[in-house]
Amino acid sequence: MRQKGERTAGILRHGNGWTRLSALVMGAGCLRYGQIVKGLLYLGFEALYFAFFFGFSWPYLSRFPTLGTSAQSRVWDEAAQIYRRVPGDNSMLILLFSVVALASLALLAAVWRLNLKSAWRLEQKAARHEPIPRFREEVGTLMDERFHVTLLSMPMLTLVLFTALPIAFMILIAFTNFDSTHQPPGQLFTWTGLTNVTDVFLGNEVKTRTFFGILGWTLVWAVLATFTNYILGMLLAVIINHRVVRLKKLWRTCFVIAIAVPQFVSLLLISRSLEPQGAVNVALMALGWIDDPLPFLTDPTLARVVVVVVNMWIGIPYTMLTFSGVLLNIPSDLYESAQMDGAGPVRQFLSITLPYMVFITAPATITTFVTNINNFNVIYLLTAGGPFSLDYYQAGKTDLLVTWLYKLTVDQHDYALASTIGIFIFMIVSSCSLAVYNHTGAIRREDQFQ
Amino acid sequence: MSNPRSMKRYNMRLSVILHTLLAVLSLLWLLPVAWLLLSSFRAEPGAYTSYLLPKSYTLNNYVRLFTDTALFNFPRWFLNTLFVACCSCLITTVLSLMVAYVYSRLRFPSRRKLMNVSLVLGMFPGFMSMIAIYHFLKAIGLDQTLLALILVYSGGAAMNYYIAKGFFDTIPKSLDEAAILDGATRSVVFWKIILPNSKPIVANLAINAFIAPWVDFIFVSVIMKDNYNNYTVAKGLYTMVDKANIYRYYTVFCAGAVVVAVPIVLLFIRLQKYYVAGVAAGSVKG
Amino acid sequence: MMKKCLCLLLCLTMLCLSAGAALAETVALKVWGSQEDQELLAELCEAFAAEHPETTYEFTFGVVGEADAKARYLEDPAAAADVFSYPDDQIIDLVNADALYEVTRNHDEIVAANSVGSVNAASVGGVLYGYPMTADNGYFLYYDTSVISDEDAKSFDTLLAAAEKAGKKVQIDISNGWYLAGFFLGNGCTLTLDENGNQICDFNSEKGLKAAEAVRAICNHPAYTSGDDTVLQGGMGDAICAGISGTWVAAALKERLGDNYAAAKLPTFTVDGEQVQMGSFLGCKILGVNTQTQHPVEAMELAEYLTSEEAQIRRYEVRGYGPSNLKAAASEAVSADVALSALAAQSEFGVSQHVLGAFWTPAEAFGAELEAHSEADLQTLLDQFVSQVTAQ
Repeated sequence: MRQKGERTAGILRHGNGWTRLSALVMGAGCLRYGQIVKGLLYLGFEALYFAFFFGFSWPYLSRFPTLGTSAQSRVWDEAAQIYRRVPGDNSMLILLFSVVALASLALLAAVWRLNLKSAWRLEQKAARHEPIPRFREEVGTLMDERFHVTLLSMPMLTLVLFTALPIAFMILIAFTNFDSTHQPPGQLFTWTGLTNVTDVFLGNEVKTRTFFGILGWTLVWAVLATFTNYILGMLLAVIINHRVVRLKKLWRTCFVIAIAVPQFVSLLLISRSLEPQGAVNVALMALGWIDDPLPFLTDPTLARVVVVVVNMWIGIPYTMLTFSGVLLNIPSDLYESAQMDGAGPVRQFLSITLPYMVFITAPATITTFVTNINNFNVIYLLTAGGPFSLDYYQAGKTDLLVTWLYKLTVDQHDYALASTIGIFIFMIVSSCSLAVYNHTGAIRREDQFQ
Repeated sequence: MSNPRSMKRYNMRLSVILHTLLAVLSLLWLLPVAWLLLSSFRAEPGAYTSYLLPKSYTLNNYVRLFTDTALFNFPRWFLNTLFVACCSCLITTVLSLMVAYVYSRLRFPSRRKLMNVSLVLGMFPGFMSMIAIYHFLKAIGLDQTLLALILVYSGGAAMNYYIAKGFFDTIPKSLDEAAILDGATRSVVFWKIILPNSKPIVANLAINAFIAPWVDFIFVSVIMKDNYNNYTVAKGLYTMVDKANIYRYYTVFCAGAVVVAVPIVLLFIRLQKYYVAGVAAGSVKG
Repeated sequence: MMKKCLCLLLCLTMLCLSAGAALAETVALKVWGSQEDQELLAELCEAFAAEHPETTYEFTFGVVGEADAKARYLEDPAAAADVFSYPDDQIIDLVNADALYEVTRNHDEIVAANSVGSVNAASVGGVLYGYPMTADNGYFLYYDTSVISDEDAKSFDTLLAAAEKAGKKVQIDISNGWYLAGFFLGNGCTLTLDENGNQICDFNSEKGLKAAEAVRAICNHPAYTSGDDTVLQGGMGDAICAGISGTWVAAALKERLGDNYAAAKLPTFTVDGEQVQMGSFLGCKILGVNTQTQHPVEAMELAEYLTSEEAQIRRYEVRGYGPSNLKAAASEAVSADVALSALAAQSEFGVSQHVLGAFWTPAEAFGAELEAHSEADLQTLLDQFVSQVTAQ
């Protein structure tokens, strides 16, 4: 689609003086051809950018290659009788704001190209004696042909600021030695290349074992958590929406109340009641069913069963709601024709309801699976990853990769290791889900579907 | 089955079985909630008792929650949370709808790429970036403010377009094509045609966005740090159950949790119909 | 806005000072303390300001409890308080991050005024990095005198036997490294840091093995129960007759037990037929001065005031915290306190807590194994435990 002459190099080669000047003084072309407001906006942007770059970015960016050279140091102050601190470089802030500076360079490049392009187009238009669009007209297209730009600009801005840049920062940390012994402001940290990666996968036996052990359980957990909720939630929805069941809304509400209590409260309560002296054990012993308290949270296998079961308590109401909606949407003519063929309720369920629901919710199930891989709350609030294990590095038998990460960052301040593992989780999860999303029939053909 | 009497008997039996099953299941689901309610009315302090039912009941925990504000300013936190929840609910809903509409209806060169990127970015463990976000907010002078919290909670809007896009895909495209033929701009199509037809998905997005600030206790600790007056209920309640306070404040904590749960339950009950329809339609095309 | 105003004010005052003008100076200081300590902090800071009329002080108070101090500090040192309190187990990480000013002003007076244990706890590598504020971050035995006699409370054997006879339980949180370490330390093991800041731990030595065997015997005793503070606070008096914890549960237990409330040093346990005194960590809370402060001298004066004898007595009166100041600890009210006396009796068997963060998770894993009555070989478990603790 793109015209040959619109490549940046082409514009610079073939453009006239004003267009080429735009490469240095942004907006020059627009100003020359009468787009005063647009030209001034470009010029203003350039001025602001340079003020920002030299005022804010440069001090950080210039130290980006080393991440700082002088740590905070001390000097004896005889008069005050103290070791006064001389502020030094803060590696973390250098890294963080360098990421911002680099991102702003990318923004500059994009705006610069836009500016060249509009200068070139204006030059072409002027050469063909076409009318020059007025500023108001160009703004008007933002409500129509270019409406996507208007709608996406705000969400994308927050996406870049609160998600993309922090992720870039975390990824870079994986290549440094930012851990508990290299904490600003007293210590610098610096680039260490791939040592964290080799440490996890080759160097350190305990860390390797922990990573793969936890990875295995994370996958098992995600499968169990997704499918128990899926199947039982579906059954529950079918039961509630069965024609003989009355007070459907009341039943639904009963289950909804359970999820309205904030998870940090309900899980704390459940976790407490599962302790050796907790309500469940007390009740079971009072009933005479058991003699000794059951080690719900301290036996590795039992603890894993417990987290899956409790996750059902949390998750089934949601799936039940989803399936209730799906059930209401099943076209009734499907049932009518089945009844004419003499199909009983079981056959109707198996040949109509079930396939319909499975087909329709397949994409949502994949999303749930991905969410479960990163399901922080249930594990962290219920068992905190415990029971801890001596074979693992700072982790327990119910830890998921994501809760292990949390502990590594918050408790151990081992950011470098945590980031390395974070990148691996991210690679696994995102490649799986992208593959699935882009190959699910319904999604691949979404354009034709409408 | 054709015999009406045996059909009726079959229905009776089925109805009894299903209702009993539902009763048992609801009991299981409501048990922890009942336990929470009981604890919130328990007169004896402490997080743990060696007996099941409280020995005596009191309303005092609720009274303390709202009057004993010298240590734990629950009323203020409640208002903070309400404010943050309303604002971020509004912003998130609008932003998500905008993004979903763009991906569902508008066609432009980098659409596919953007969709994949925003989908994938949401899969990075969020708390790892907390410190980075804190320093960004500090750089623009917003650290420790409620506005910062609103920004953080609504910042992810571009990534949860998924269900809403699925919903929009089900609205017949002929509607907007007709409007465009009549000379409407795409902006008009969005506000006048798509939005009015999207009640279920709006309700769905709004509920989810509204709930988030009530239950998050991790982000709020990093953003607010020592600014106790700007805590939200979740963070505030969490401080009630730390080592030093848990004995005296556990039952008050339970009362607080009940107070937090009430608006969410009401919202769910009122919007259940839309919520269900929204999720269902959204997951159709997902 | 506030900050900008303050900055401006500061700049102005600097100018005034450099011009030699003897104008009153405004010093803005931020202090961190837990929620319950806010009122007391405000009161003490006001008293401090009243003692220094030559300077105008402007205090702000932030709610950050001791337990969170390190985490909140490291997230943003520049926004942290000028003066903040932290438990001694965070001191190593804070010193590594160069977060704390050395105590150089009035150093000798401060060392002399406070107990040796608290000064040790506030020091790293022989340098004093903070002002000891309390000396009550340790643990000892609480018991119910209607079940346990003072004599029974002296050893685990008699304690557990008496509890079993009454059909009640003795609570010890073995799956918590803090309490678990007491057995090893009591039997002569070491847990400390070398001069490079690396963890030294010999819990897998022969002595350690003996201690672990004793712990296993206790865990397998029918009168033993695990559980944390909440279990002790909730069960004391009915299902539980004795338990090990610190001063923070004292008020709750006193309320539950009434006249039967008693506390003593930790019991002895049996190793090779001999009675060995259980050791403990002797922790304290410390006031530190942030290296990022604009007013180090004033901040130090404030910290010194907040940990003075009068302030510590007041802190005991209001909050019940045990003083580290020797004179305050010897005062009549403090020495009559049941819990604090027990803690004092235990203190001669206590060691400072020089432990890195990597200790706690493996310690909990080891304790949980024993609580679950695992039959695994203790030496293997201990070797794994120690190799994780000392890993770099």
